[in-house]
Amino acid sequence: MIALLIANSLALASLLIMLSSGLALIYGLRDVINFGHGALYMLGAYLGYSIALAGGFWLALLVSPLLLAGLGVAFEYGVLRPLRGRSHIEVALVTLGLGIVLGQALIFVYGGEARGVDAPTALAGSVRLFGLSYPLYRIFLITMGLGSCAALALWLRYSTSGLYVRAVSQDPSVARMMGVNADRLSLLVTSLSAAFAGVAGVLAGPYLSVDPGMDVTMIVNCLIIVVIGGTGSIAGAIVAALLFGFVQVAGSVFLPDLAALAPYVLLFVVLLIAPRGIGRGRAPA
Amino acid sequence: MSGGTSRAAARSGVLLGGGVSTRAPVTVLLAALIFALGAYAPTHFLSEFALRIGAGGLLLGILALSVAFLMSQAGLVALGAASVYGGVGYLFAICLSEWDLSPTAALLFAFVAVVVYSAALGALIVRTNPLAFMMLTLAAGEMISHSVMLEGLRDYTSGADGLVVNFKGAVFGMTSADFANATRFWPIAWSAAWGLGLAAFTVRRSRFGAILRAIRENEERMRFSGFGTYLPRLVAFVFVNAIAGVCGLLHVLNSGFVSPESLGLSVSTNALVAALIGGVAGSTGPIAGGVLFAVAQDQFGAHGFTQLLTGVAIVVFIVLLPRGVVGALLDAVRRSDRRGTG
Amino acid sequence: MLEIANLSVNYGRVRALDGVDLTIKGAGALHGIIGPNGAGKSTLLDAVTGRRAPSGGAVRYRGQDITRRSVAWRRRHGMARSFQRTSIFQDLTVREQLTLIARHLGDDRLGDVIDAMNLGDCLDEKAGRIAYGVQRRVDVALALIGRPDLLLMDEPGAGLSAEETLNLFLHLRDLVRERGMAAVVVEHDVDAVFACCDVVTVLDLGRHLATGTPAEIRADARVISAYLGSAA
Repeated sequence: MIALLIANSLALASLLIMLSSGLALIYGLRDVINFGHGALYMLGAYLGYSIALAGGFWLALLVSPLLLAGLGVAFEYGVLRPLRGRSHIEVALVTLGLGIVLGQALIFVYGGEARGVDAPTALAGSVRLFGLSYPLYRIFLITMGLGSCAALALWLRYSTSGLYVRAVSQDPSVARMMGVNADRLSLLVTSLSAAFAGVAGVLAGPYLSVDPGMDVTMIVNCLIIVVIGGTGSIAGAIVAALLFGFVQVAGSVFLPDLAALAPYVLLFVVLLIAPRGIGRGRAPA
Repeated sequence: MSGGTSRAAARSGVLLGGGVSTRAPVTVLLAALIFALGAYAPTHFLSEFALRIGAGGLLLGILALSVAFLMSQAGLVALGAASVYGGVGYLFAICLSEWDLSPTAALLFAFVAVVVYSAALGALIVRTNPLAFMMLTLAAGEMISHSVMLEGLRDYTSGADGLVVNFKGAVFGMTSADFANATRFWPIAWSAAWGLGLAAFTVRRSRFGAILRAIRENEERMRFSGFGTYLPRLVAFVFVNAIAGVCGLLHVLNSGFVSPESLGLSVSTNALVAALIGGVAGSTGPIAGGVLFAVAQDQFGAHGFTQLLTGVAIVVFIVLLPRGVVGALLDAVRRSDRRGTG
Repeated sequence: MLEIANLSVNYGRVRALDGVDLTIKGAGALHGIIGPNGAGKSTLLDAVTGRRAPSGGAVRYRGQDITRRSVAWRRRHGMARSFQRTSIFQDLTVREQLTLIARHLGDDRLGDVIDAMNLGDCLDEKAGRIAYGVQRRVDVALALIGRPDLLLMDEPGAGLSAEETLNLFLHLRDLVRERGMAAVVVEHDVDAVFACCDVVTVLDLGRHLATGTPAEIRADARVISAYLGSAA
């Protein structure tokens, strides 16, 4: 029972980690919250659905993130750079507006009902693990989630750009003085973040579903995770995503009637105990 | 001659929170005239339908005022305004149907409940930075949306079906039918818009308003000058939510119905857009923005399309017209004024 | 008046302040704090004013332990601070911001502050539009409102020429004597400090190195090797 709980939490957390780390990266680097991140995820999912219909799941998993990365580049050059002088709130509001436009456009193109996506045949079916039968697709999902987590951690810890990202996240003024090319870094982070949203969107298809409300649901989840994790802290976001996944899954098992509220309770409890969140975000200005 | 007029001007000058204006009595008179005219003239000239749209626009405008006030005075964007606007309606409906309260008692209870809620929520989230605040109000708004749809509360909220509000007897001398009547409701909406707009104006011009704006501009220096910066923002948050609460009650009295849509995210973003369109700086801007939005929404029909335009409007107004339509007009007037006397 | 006892401040694993003991005697004295970059001077001010919570030690003000008190409390009880990077209200006029603070702190002799910082000419200008040097004076003026007993200043000479800094310090010294207040000034310009301060403290690598009159400090071997070199 516990094993099942943990496995399901990890599956959900895998998606959340991919999405919220992207959000946290941009926030840490540019102090900007992309309120359209949920819409990107939704775009990734719907694109994945269409591509999968034409060429199969694996093609979708490859192409959708690439297309979204392109959109991320457009976002960086078309939105973030021109609005550099504006306050963070204004930029956040613009991303909110764009997210609404994207979400509505998708509903317009695809209609208002949910779509199902089938898991690829290689991943359909279940596997016997610790005496339980568990869907193979979810194991794949968990592997992808942990894999991206590990890749992110390695990149942050050992690469030059990763070091720069950490530095700027901790103290933007100092890092900029040291000649870190924040622009190139930002382009990298934005396109990576969008690509990850694409991956998460495609992966979500067979696991959750592809429906019109998914952008709002996901952006709220990610926002909660980023706040709990401590604004600007990527490690914190990962821990928060795991916590969130667990609370959500446990809630739906033990208190199914109130499960929808579980994440919010978690949010407000954390805010009460640790107003700055779990992780060690940037130092108070 | 000039000596006489300047003495008279000095005598009639009124200190309006820091500015001496010899034109003040004239402005007040003009305002009173517009108010009186606006309360009754439209009911004679406009169709029922137009009055309905107009009143809806005024109510949205008041909600936009609550968003705008917090933005311009405290630098905080609240994306959960609909949760109070719709939530107060739900509470009113539940009080009437489940607990059999009199309509007046139900109104009072619902209002107090949302004020308490906003105090509790504000206490938790006002401490954070503005960006986190924006995220948290969005989350809180969605939380309320989800609560209304919970299976466990279905008996109270009827889930997706919504609740019909029907009360017997009168509230402030008006019956349920009166409130639903567009011709009789218009003066109420108009008066509420003026009253709440004036309340916001008074607070803006007060010392409290100056403190809020100073905190917005340089919070650290305010602390280093001996000011607590937490309480003023909390008070401001409760204030704007009280405005949203009044507005929501008027809405539910008029429409006789609440549903999950009343507290959905789109209502919050509509209020935000209305505030941006009109201009967040004053009281007239947001309210005018609300009316403009309601008219535009009527013109553009389908819900999805309006929402898309809402998104576009947010981007356009932030990037190109940050002071909104009213703000831009005022700027133009000021510029021509200067040219005239300069 | 101010007692700093074994104060330590950590930024993560970095020890910015390490067990600093310092006593500021009181009224009428100008106390300078100097030291190389990274010595912990600004951190000391941050800890004393409450901007940063110390990881160890205590701050006592007029005999009372104020280590846990808020920034706003300290200001209301007579401990004021000015900033290295001018921190004023750009959108308000000079008069508006001075009045706002004065009303809150119950100071009805704002004219004194305006005269002391020579702001009479620019009262109705928006603070964002006036010259940088004048903005700095506004910054100090904001700190002087309410007749604080202890004024803490963080590099008031930053961005000013050597001559301007010296003038500022002379002005400060007069102010301090006139008003009978105590002032602690962190500063880089060693000449101005030696010329005008009554007591000088030297910090190095987060530790207290020496305290004494300017003459004593100039002659102190440890200070010379750690900081002054041949500049003294």
